[in-house]
Amino acid sequence: MKATAALLSILVLAFAALPLGAGDYFIGVGLSVLMYVALTQSWTVLSGMTGYVSLGHVVFYGLGGYVAALAWGTVPLAAIIPLAGIAAFALAATIGSPALRVRGPYFVILTFGLAELVKYIVIVIEGWLGKFSRVMFGAPGLDTLYYIMLALAAAATILTLSVRRSRFGQGLRAIRENEEAAETVGVPTVRFKLLAFGLSAIIPGMVGSVMVLRSTYFEPAQLFDPVVSFSIVTMAVVGGSDDVMGPLLGAAGFVVLSELLWANAPQLYMIFLGLLLILFVLFVPEGMSGKLFPARRRGAR
Amino acid sequence: MDAILSGQLLAAALVTGALYALTALGLNLVYGTMRLLNVAHGDLVMIGAYVAFWAFTLLALSPLLSLLGSAALAALLGLALYYGLFRRLLDGGKAAQRLEANSLLLFFGVSVIVQNLAALQFTSTPRGFQYLDEVYHFGNIAVTGNRIAAFLVAIAICLGVMAFLRFHVTGLAIKALIQRRDAAAIVGVNIERVQILTLCLGFATASVAGALVSMTEQISPFMGFPFTIAAFVVIILGGLGNITGGIAAGFLLGLLETYGVALTSSAYRSILVYGVFVLILLVRPQGLLGGRRTVR
Repeated sequence: MKATAALLSILVLAFAALPLGAGDYFIGVGLSVLMYVALTQSWTVLSGMTGYVSLGHVVFYGLGGYVAALAWGTVPLAAIIPLAGIAAFALAATIGSPALRVRGPYFVILTFGLAELVKYIVIVIEGWLGKFSRVMFGAPGLDTLYYIMLALAAAATILTLSVRRSRFGQGLRAIRENEEAAETVGVPTVRFKLLAFGLSAIIPGMVGSVMVLRSTYFEPAQLFDPVVSFSIVTMAVVGGSDDVMGPLLGAAGFVVLSELLWANAPQLYMIFLGLLLILFVLFVPEGMSGKLFPARRRGAR
Repeated sequence: MDAILSGQLLAAALVTGALYALTALGLNLVYGTMRLLNVAHGDLVMIGAYVAFWAFTLLALSPLLSLLGSAALAALLGLALYYGLFRRLLDGGKAAQRLEANSLLLFFGVSVIVQNLAALQFTSTPRGFQYLDEVYHFGNIAVTGNRIAAFLVAIAICLGVMAFLRFHVTGLAIKALIQRRDAAAIVGVNIERVQILTLCLGFATASVAGALVSMTEQISPFMGFPFTIAAFVVIILGGLGNITGGIAAGFLLGLLETYGVALTSSAYRSILVYGVFVLILLVRPQGLLGGRRTVR
């Protein structure tokens, strides 16, 4: 516990110091790492803890971005970000109660289908409004967005840490191991799953609103890109989703890999993503963090 | 309104339906016998389509012949994946505990790799070719020759596979595996042999569907995705592991999509397909896991 807290504090300080010394390129890379840390940590609250694997988490990110695109210019930034989080939470609460009755692999393909459905609905709505893309004028500078993202990544990490150590987290783990048994011993499974889904959506919504300002441009197909969902799942599987360090390792590893490959060989990056996913599912199901910190993992159980 | 009632739309719906039925057939077999959730299924359609395209472009070979090559290549891929990935998973062990979820992640990895290898090799530019494109008239319905051919071949293969499952001893073994895996082993079915055969058959039929699709529309490395989704809609509609139901559901989806788009506009096509997909999963989750599994 103490070691984790110390390590995380050092990481936060290191990320906070980055813009002081580095150029825009490295701040941008840092922003991507923080973005995926925030997304993947949030994702583990639902999918790592309960075993309900969401392959559609981009829907909350995209919705947050859409909220920001609609509200930009009329609502101040300080209100847009929480608003995006609330919208994402509301969407999760709405689709959660029917969707979370569906189990196992069907939940996986259902979340994917839902995300695509919302994407095409947003495309049609934008078509009705006569907008095919939106440009955000006067967006805040890179440094501001970077520090907001750092706060979101830290918040997501603290969220997963505190859920893991709570009774609520114990209940979620019980659902993952055996849902019927959990229900029998008195875990309110329906309420817990729904709460976990809602909690895992809030920060991705906020992240989306920040990222749309970063690109100063909103285009539904880009913001609801399923590659984001895939990346989250792969980072969590490769990093390890049963430990708070897993998403950090996964996010940092893949963002660096993508920086090396994406610009010149985007297909090669995707091929690496697929290969690593296969290798880790087959041979290292506990992920990098499970290999690096085996004792910690046992302690968490 | 006249356009809606005309036979023209019905003909289009039947061709789409036959291709969906053939595509979903393989997914159904693979899921039914092994519980593997093949989210790369549509990419087999893409592979088959590229084989047909290159055979036609480079060798001037008719897709109706080169579909044998499509089938063979996909069957080989099935064999490689069986020995490389899934034997370990099906045998039991660390990764087998969550077979369906893990197979989904593995196939997803395969899908990403296959799509991007194709994009790297062939670029993402859509490609197409003209084959059997003269128009035939039946009353006031006009249909191109390639659509008629695609329809007939798809139907023939669906019927052939159904007959194989009903009358051939290996087909019966496949059905036994779908119904009761443990019981099938007890009565002497060679599980491993049947699994390999089913995987190859399932992959090959999807690839043939791709060869047929390549005659009627443009192909690209990322064309497989909509077929994966359509195939899942079809087998969930028709009942997992239910081969006849799946073929009927293929036609149902073809009708639904064609008439839905005709009544609204093509902007709604994706909403329609994903809407049906989400709705079925939400409304009938018990039909997916807890429901009775029958094979007809």
